[in-house]
Amino acid sequence: MAAMNIERLKPHFPWITLVTLVVIVSLIDPTFLRPSSMLSLAGDIVPLFIMALGITFVIYIGGIDLSAQSMANMVTVLATVWLTSLGAWVAPAVVLMGAILGAFSGYFTTRLFVPSFISTLAVGGVAFSVAKWLSGQKSVSMDAAQRDHLFGWMIGRTFGIPHELFIAAALLLIMVFLERRTILGRTLKAIGAGEPAAVASGINVARYKIAAFALSGALAAMAGLLFSVKLSGGAPSVANGFLLPAIVAVLVGGTPLTGGVGGVVNTMIGALIVAVIRAGMLYLSIQATQQQIVFGLILICAIAFTIDRAKLKTVK
Amino acid sequence: MYEMQKVDKKFPGVHALKTVDFNIKRGEIVGLVGENGAGKSTLMKIIYGAYQPDSGKILLNGNEVNFANPREALASGIGMVFQEQSLIPSLTIMENIFLGYEGQFVHFGMINWKAMATAARVQLAKVKLDLDPATITSKLSFAQRQLVELAKVLTLEERVKGDLVILLDEPTSVLAEEEVELLFKLIRELTTRASFIFVSHRIDEVMTISDRIYVLKDGNVVDVVVKGQSSIEAIQHKMVGRNVDKEYYREHRQKPFDESKVLFELSEVSLPGRVKNASLKLHSGEVLCLVGAEGSGREAIVRALYGMVTPTSGQLSIKGAAMEQASPRAAVERGVGYVPRERKIEGIVSGMNVYENLTLSQLGKYSTRGVLKIAQEKALARDWISKLSIKASSENADCGNLSGGNQQKVVLAKWRSGGSDIMLLDHPTRGLDIGAKEDVYEMIRDMCEAGVGILLVADTFEEAIGLSHTIAVIKDGQIQKQFDTKQGAKPTPFDLLHHMI
Amino acid sequence: MQELLTRDKLLKWAPLLVLITLVLFFSAINPNFLSLRNFARVSITASPSLMVAIGVTFIILMGSIDLSMEGAVSALAVVFCYFLVWMGGTVAGLGFLAIPAIMLLGAAFGALNGLIHVQLRIPSFMSSLAMGFVGTGAAVLMTGGNIVKINDNVFGSLLTDRFAGFPLMAYVALVFLIIGWIIQSYTRLGRNFYAIGGGEDLAHASGVNVKRVRVLGFALAGLYFSVAALLQVAKLGQAESVTGSNFMFISITSVVVGGVALWGAIGGVWNALVGVLIVAVINNGMIVIGVPDYMQDGILGLLVIIAVVLSTDRRSLAFVK
Repeated sequence: MAAMNIERLKPHFPWITLVTLVVIVSLIDPTFLRPSSMLSLAGDIVPLFIMALGITFVIYIGGIDLSAQSMANMVTVLATVWLTSLGAWVAPAVVLMGAILGAFSGYFTTRLFVPSFISTLAVGGVAFSVAKWLSGQKSVSMDAAQRDHLFGWMIGRTFGIPHELFIAAALLLIMVFLERRTILGRTLKAIGAGEPAAVASGINVARYKIAAFALSGALAAMAGLLFSVKLSGGAPSVANGFLLPAIVAVLVGGTPLTGGVGGVVNTMIGALIVAVIRAGMLYLSIQATQQQIVFGLILICAIAFTIDRAKLKTVK
Repeated sequence: MYEMQKVDKKFPGVHALKTVDFNIKRGEIVGLVGENGAGKSTLMKIIYGAYQPDSGKILLNGNEVNFANPREALASGIGMVFQEQSLIPSLTIMENIFLGYEGQFVHFGMINWKAMATAARVQLAKVKLDLDPATITSKLSFAQRQLVELAKVLTLEERVKGDLVILLDEPTSVLAEEEVELLFKLIRELTTRASFIFVSHRIDEVMTISDRIYVLKDGNVVDVVVKGQSSIEAIQHKMVGRNVDKEYYREHRQKPFDESKVLFELSEVSLPGRVKNASLKLHSGEVLCLVGAEGSGREAIVRALYGMVTPTSGQLSIKGAAMEQASPRAAVERGVGYVPRERKIEGIVSGMNVYENLTLSQLGKYSTRGVLKIAQEKALARDWISKLSIKASSENADCGNLSGGNQQKVVLAKWRSGGSDIMLLDHPTRGLDIGAKEDVYEMIRDMCEAGVGILLVADTFEEAIGLSHTIAVIKDGQIQKQFDTKQGAKPTPFDLLHHMI
Repeated sequence: MQELLTRDKLLKWAPLLVLITLVLFFSAINPNFLSLRNFARVSITASPSLMVAIGVTFIILMGSIDLSMEGAVSALAVVFCYFLVWMGGTVAGLGFLAIPAIMLLGAAFGALNGLIHVQLRIPSFMSSLAMGFVGTGAAVLMTGGNIVKINDNVFGSLLTDRFAGFPLMAYVALVFLIIGWIIQSYTRLGRNFYAIGGGEDLAHASGVNVKRVRVLGFALAGLYFSVAALLQVAKLGQAESVTGSNFMFISITSVVVGGVALWGAIGGVWNALVGVLIVAVINNGMIVIGVPDYMQDGILGLLVIIAVVLSTDRRSLAFVK
């Protein structure tokens, strides 16, 4: 009886968790509830959110993308180095790069049967190499004037709301549309929730899986672009330490490792949860050096709790 | 020596064994035959301890016993030689023989390979297999692996006091003729140490080797035949022999099909595995049923027609066009619809609702440039929910929560709404209650009237006979005979069985 | 059957042939490659990697994966340095206790890793990845982002003292390699790894306590990670939160390239050795012939893909996640 009720409540856990955490943190420090601090918090989490958005699609179809961080790193360097020559075109160019590399991961995973964690690790390694090569292993910086002119709008504020939030909202809306109203989204849902049935319905599953990986790569690239604009430059290690919280955001938001349920709105909740946890840790004076281990433990709990064990016959 | 008295076993929806009596004496070889679903496998599982009876007694040498699991049965001298896949291919022969019982060779945590090899050789000698015990199992042939499995079970001799009961499950299905003879010779020699229960669908072999044969049907022991006192036909008659309810299968709705319109044709098609030189034709309005034992090749043919398996030779054409590149996409485009056996896994996507499942095979039709036309999908769903009387709260209901019968209706609607006119139905009524089954039969008749051709793999002989226009009997990958099952001149289950085995 | 035999044979000998070819290739381009000093250099790179590779091999044999090595090695290295300093600063004295202490800690970490995987029924790649993050986090926590240095010539002799041209650490690695071989070929635990990898349900039905073997396997891996941490500290004379970085990539690549199958039950510690040598030779060779080192990761990435593709029997995989 109790088990059945938990199952019914499960879809609601993410936002219940979010609300609970907000309450807890505001008890620790009431200034948390001030609109300006909440908006700043949300704005800070945007690059992570964008990365997590991409990873959502891959996890949704039952894989994992460990390349997101390296992709973002590579893009910060690419964007900086190509800015002078490509100007505003650098944006679509890097997103395309991300999509292409992501497609490679997808190809290795689906057509060559390499497990996704290895494919994405490998492609991530390649991205890392590119980043190190183009940057000469150090940080590079953008021409400040050019950056402001072309991309300054990304990091401004209007009515006190950071522009990143608008970008995040726009991307979220696009992804929700993709998820719920397009063939791509519907097919990915079928693949994640019932791959054998999708195959038996005549769907070319491999092609759509590759698309999911490509999408993840493109979004990781967008996150990288945002990083580089914010920092006005790039380096091979800028995005380090983002992979773990991004995965936590996806899982805690309600898209389990086994895929098939959840989605981009869940990841938004998950990203907010991560933001609130970060804020909470700051207020509790838990330093950055201690935060990683906390996230690691949260990750383990999140996985253990959300995973759909019915989908796994033997746990290897 | 080993006796079962009035053993009964029920599963949800199925009465597998109905107060069965069974016994086997020392050194006896007893055969066990029956068609699929007769209760053979349940009986075996109870004997070697994987299942426990709901009621009845089991006696070993006069003492009542109760095995909670196979290891307990093993400890009492009852072991099973499995059909396949019960050796670990990456381990050596000797490790497989002593799997789980290596303790005797371990000193101070280290394995004494020499001692194990010597002991293994003793076992291998019992089955006359002259191989190096350190050989990796994956390098052996099927026949050799079968013998190693037998050797593994025979370790019971040293481990257990008293006599052994050894079950052999379809031991000959992967063996060539000479290998079968060798196996039988070996078994006869071993009867000094053990009794054997020989389970197989090859009645001729069972009759050759067994002292007595138990014939199972619908969970009952219908006869116990003594060696030399019966014939293959007589046994086959006992295995089937039921009345076919004509009303149930809507036989009155069976109309002759259009012989001029060929929907698909297989010419001398061979598939990876067993299917060789199969030739079949399906016409518009026809129900063609494939009948055969498990593993005889029916499913392979169905999957080949759906583009999931490519023929290694021969020609497969759908609506006159030869299918060169096998792919489900191509098959769907030519009008093939596939209703798989595993409804919950391959039929519907649990977690998606009715309209999402309905349009899964035709997403292109319900979208413009990639964007879905959800309103139209919902309308389609509502239409078919009423057409087929699908019991769902609305088009938004999660298909995973529907009953089996309604899930099946959704799957059928998926293909029919897309205009598929070649339907591949694999065990379509499996697991459904009577009412749902009758609904499916009605739908099959409706489809035929609309000119759809149906390739059917049925659950029972009766279903095959009742529903079809034509029956093709398959044995070991080859089509043995085709029957015209016109109304009034239908074959009996016995006719089918005779060619099946 | 014939086909299977030749494929198996090929899989068995290909890695060694690749290694020999690489050595010849690099030597041809630059004869300095073929010197004792260079080989000694290779052994220094290879020794810690070999320990990680052997540890992870045991897990892969079971059909699982352990991705916790980076965090494990970092955390263990850091703890070792602190412990050593606390116990007097040199292994010649009480500090010697730091060595078995770390090995015990490594085994404990691995056991915890295994328990989380087994008891919470989380797929090993995720549970070990998460534990890896915990390990790195612990290392960051302990060091506050700083570097912990040790100043012990006795411990450092693992690097500096040579015997027949090769540093002591290479011999330590060799000893643990042989121990690993004994475990995989002569102990029940080792054979159980193969049994679980080759047929888990069957092994379980035959009485193998799969859960226990799994946890012990992860504990063993953790032990080997601790030895890797020790050798890495000996090499660098210090520890920090990124001491373990790149070990994941290198060890998985090595193991796969050396011929250990990702789906389990095929291969063993000797494959790990050949694979580690191949990777170390490539790294070293690239330097000797003048290839820029930023290409290392990229080339390794491509290498691992090629290795997995070549060794995968595609017919036996329904779909890979």
